Amino acid sequence: MDHDNRVLTRRGARELTQDEVESVQGALKVAHTLTPCFIDKKQQLLNGDQAIGECGP
Amino acid sequence: MKLIVLAPEDDNHTAPIKWALEKAGQKVVCWAGLSWTEQGQSSLLMNGDDTLILGGHSVDPGDVIWIRRPEPPAPNPKVSEADKKFASLEYRCFYHSIAYLLETLPVWCINKYSAARVMIQKAVQLRLARQCGLKTPSTLMSNHPATVREFFARENSRTICKGFTPHVWQKEGQMSVAITETFELTGDQLPTDEVLTYAPAIYQERVPKDFDIRMVLMGNHIYSYSLKNKKQALDWRQDAGLGHVTAELVPTPPDVEKGVLEFARRSGLCFGSLDFGVDAQGQWWFLEINEQGQFLWIDQFSRDARLLEKFCAFVTSPQGSTLPLEARQDLFPSLAEYEELLKNEQVAPVGRPRQEDPFLSMEA
Repeated sequence: MDHDNRVLTRRGARELTQDEVESVQGALKVAHTLTPCFIDKKQQLLNGDQAIGECGP
Repeated sequence: MKLIVLAPEDDNHTAPIKWALEKAGQKVVCWAGLSWTEQGQSSLLMNGDDTLILGGHSVDPGDVIWIRRPEPPAPNPKVSEADKKFASLEYRCFYHSIAYLLETLPVWCINKYSAARVMIQKAVQLRLARQCGLKTPSTLMSNHPATVREFFARENSRTICKGFTPHVWQKEGQMSVAITETFELTGDQLPTDEVLTYAPAIYQERVPKDFDIRMVLMGNHIYSYSLKNKKQALDWRQDAGLGHVTAELVPTPPDVEKGVLEFARRSGLCFGSLDFGVDAQGQWWFLEINEQGQFLWIDQFSRDARLLEKFCAFVTSPQGSTLPLEARQDLFPSLAEYEELLKNEQVAPVGRPRQEDPFLSMEA
């Protein structure tokens, strides 16, 4: 990753491999649909603990 | 009595809970939030006998309002470009009027909007938790480089860094993504002062935890689950998504239970998901609370948890009831039954595309 002008939190972010992304997405179909954080390719969402609507002021 | 859920019907917690409550004969309606569409429209008539209509559903005395995850207010996209900013602010203000008014009506809000708005702030959480007798790690929230460096200069301590909000970065045209996660950092690894001003961050004493706890608060009822991760990862969330975590019901220490109930009383929250770290001495360290955090996933990891049934029992509890939720949980079907129907496509799938995602950025 190019570190120029990137925030510290991005530098410490966890890189999910393609396999991991696929694994989470595959699990979405049946099992782990409700986990605290997951990547949803279709929705492009981090459907985490923090409500989307609460991000704003 | 009916349950009004402020969330899209296909929200991943709303859908199974609505299904379970309806199977048990309860009335449940959803309102996805204020928008220009017919289902999203709302009216508040104040003439002495105030009437609030949410998408065609009247809010009546005795109703339970679960403010799960309403979508952000959505103005009509056809409004003139010259009026867009005004319309957007008007939608937002009207939504706030509705949300705050709800807690003044003779209904039960899970949670009160005012409490939720205050308690989503991590600084407020940590301070109140400490005041309620819960053990909290030393924490700095800052964008001031000198203060950050000073915090890292503490002797005999390790420090983690985390963001205030979750975020995902996706590379343009690629599948790989990066997700915000708690990570350990040393003073030597700190970037230049300039970088520390790019975004504020949370710097926190690293809790020497043996394992994590996800606790679910429902009124006066507390359920704690130990989360053990084979990889001993600092942040268990992504590993939970990948199925690498085990969840097991554990007793809550009496002093922690007392502290959490006091926290709930003072904050005004009656429901939430709390995270703790447990160290080698068995001390529970409060890390954070998400007042509408995900909790049904625990049923997937530990079928005996039956949190779906407990939540249904909680939201339909008779006023003033002191009965344990377990006494009524058998009235409701389980998440496993819902998942079976989901697998056989006998219920609608959860989730749907959203208009925008404030937690996603594309990067080169």
